Amino acid sequence: MILEVKNIDKSFGKKQVLKGVSFVAEGGKAFGLLGRNGAGKTTAIRILMNVFPADNGEVLVDGEHIDYNKIKIGYLPEERGLYPKKIIFDQLVYFSVLKGMNKKDAVKAVDHWLDRLGMLEYRNKRLDTLSKGNQQKIQLITALSHDPDIVILDEPFSGLDPVNAMLLKDVVKEQIGKGKIVLFSSHQMNYIEEFCDSIAIINTGRVVLKGDLHDIKRNYVRDRLVVNTETPERIMADFGDSCSKNEDGSLLIKLDNVSDKQNVMKKLIEHYDIDEVKVFEPSLNDIFVEYTHKEI
Amino acid sequence: MKQFGRIFQFELKGYLKNKIFVGITIIMIVAIAVAMFIPNIISLIGSGSSDEQKDRPIMLIHSESPELSLLVEQYFEEAFADYDIKITDGTVDDVKEQIVSGKVECAFVLSSASSYTYYVNNLSMYDVNVGIANTVLQEVYRANAMIQSGLTPEQAGEIMSVQIDGVTTALGKDQMKNYLYTYIMIFALYMVILLYGQMVATNVATEKSSRAMELLVTSAKPTNMMFGKVLASCLAGFLQLVAIFGSALLLYNINKNAWSGNVLIGSIFNIPVVLFIYLLIFFVLGFLIYAFLYGAIGSTASKLEDINTAVMPITFLFIIAFFVVIFSMTSGNVDNVVMKICSYIPFTSPMAMFTRIAMSTVPWYEIVISISLLIGSVVGIGILAAKIYRVGVLLYGNRPRLGTIIKSVFKKS
Repeated sequence: MILEVKNIDKSFGKKQVLKGVSFVAEGGKAFGLLGRNGAGKTTAIRILMNVFPADNGEVLVDGEHIDYNKIKIGYLPEERGLYPKKIIFDQLVYFSVLKGMNKKDAVKAVDHWLDRLGMLEYRNKRLDTLSKGNQQKIQLITALSHDPDIVILDEPFSGLDPVNAMLLKDVVKEQIGKGKIVLFSSHQMNYIEEFCDSIAIINTGRVVLKGDLHDIKRNYVRDRLVVNTETPERIMADFGDSCSKNEDGSLLIKLDNVSDKQNVMKKLIEHYDIDEVKVFEPSLNDIFVEYTHKEI
Repeated sequence: MKQFGRIFQFELKGYLKNKIFVGITIIMIVAIAVAMFIPNIISLIGSGSSDEQKDRPIMLIHSESPELSLLVEQYFEEAFADYDIKITDGTVDDVKEQIVSGKVECAFVLSSASSYTYYVNNLSMYDVNVGIANTVLQEVYRANAMIQSGLTPEQAGEIMSVQIDGVTTALGKDQMKNYLYTYIMIFALYMVILLYGQMVATNVATEKSSRAMELLVTSAKPTNMMFGKVLASCLAGFLQLVAIFGSALLLYNINKNAWSGNVLIGSIFNIPVVLFIYLLIFFVLGFLIYAFLYGAIGSTASKLEDINTAVMPITFLFIIAFFVVIFSMTSGNVDNVVMKICSYIPFTSPMAMFTRIAMSTVPWYEIVISISLLIGSVVGIGILAAKIYRVGVLLYGNRPRLGTIIKSVFKKS
């Protein structure tokens, strides 16, 4: 299954929130939708979920207009919240039947997920008696219980302890393994790097970078070297302004010309006491900052 | 439709499981039960003490003339059956002393057949002895005067006791009889709409402030949400009224004999069936139109604290409608111009038209026009409310102006 968001425009009043946003997400893969606060991610997700229509553009599944009666979407909103005063089991079943399940299947699915996330003991408790992390696990069930084709997770890892984060990772991998489209929106880049095959970065309503994460990294200009050495002072003195020190103690050397790469590496190994030298590969975090900090 | 049914069911269950909702209903029923059994309880206590006639309070009669004392005593014994009437020969000071000490409850000190002083220790708010005494003494005076001018005591008695035989037939509605139950129904309507309207608004705002809305808007259609919520609250309110009035009716019938002397209470439970049907129609329609408004307003508030100020305009509108109706009722003219206009305006017609039907004679076509206008407005406002809801629920931060929201609703559609 392929989900395609094509040239979406959306304005609220005079403010244009989305400007020709397009991206493609594939089944069996995770897609990362990135952007700074207020960039338009949530608006894009809401249009995708048909909460309100786009001014222009379309949402396609396998090349055809998305049919919301057929394609099921599961959503974990960034702003978490269910009914605090209601019994957990009751509201989970309610949200499942709202999404079109029959009562019997809903009960079965909710019990399955409570068990899967280790929450069965809270089944008949009120939501507000739970800790924040546990409430979040309950909320995750509302996104998954009706076995959706598209799973949208907005900041799924925030507020989870490492053990629960691990559990969620397993669940996400399981969903991807089932061939579903998993759409991530997060500021925690390490998780995006771990899961997502492709990404789109939205900045002030526009997609500024999109594609396969691996390709993006490979295509990044390879004009910097990372050097680990016992004698950084000598290198810094010799390379002057083009050399800077990283936080972890390693050195970063900016090349004047990409074609100098081999020569500089050779020179470093021959003249200095070098433990390691490699071409700098930016982390997603670096890429994100580079593409989004310009247009503030 | 399926989704609407599920929302309706969930919301209704929410009301019926709500401890406050159930608590209020039970308290109301218990209060009514106690009130309905009061005559039985009183007569039970009363019958226990009826053997002890000696305990009747003492009323003294004092006069310079023994004949006058005797004559007055004779009349007073009839008029004040609750008192033990005694003639005293002591001085006025003795009489006062006996009253203050509590031996005697009250005393009439007569200086002539037409003037007296009434002594009592603490004058109760409900003391009607003076009024009764005035009537009795007037009677005595007139009878005496007639006898003195030559009539026989029998003739005088006949003249004094003549009965006027008159019959009143109301060809339209008997306002005196209808007043009480119309008042009770209007008041019930008023209470239920205000109470449930607030509940709907709070309900929507709670979902919004707890962010459950984020999930709801992506799971259900706003029209289904709005109609499900409002109709569930309508049914809950209706069930509550049925429970309260039903048990009142049941308890009244159980205690019917004890209440037989009370025309007022009797009139409440003798509502004509047709009027009751009108009550149902106006209750449901009036409830819906306000509940939709309250729901729409609730969706524009981001925080629960904002609700009270947000719903104020609607509450004012409703209170004004209520007062117009109540003033017209008490003034006795429910067919005045204001009421006539109000009975066609959808926001006021549930109360105004119902009152006119109950207390006056309204041509059938006026009723049809009023109800049709109301039904049309309920549907229109329902749809508009669902649209406001759709826009309103996703707006956080400062409460937007209603005008801005309505504008954006129409822009979209």
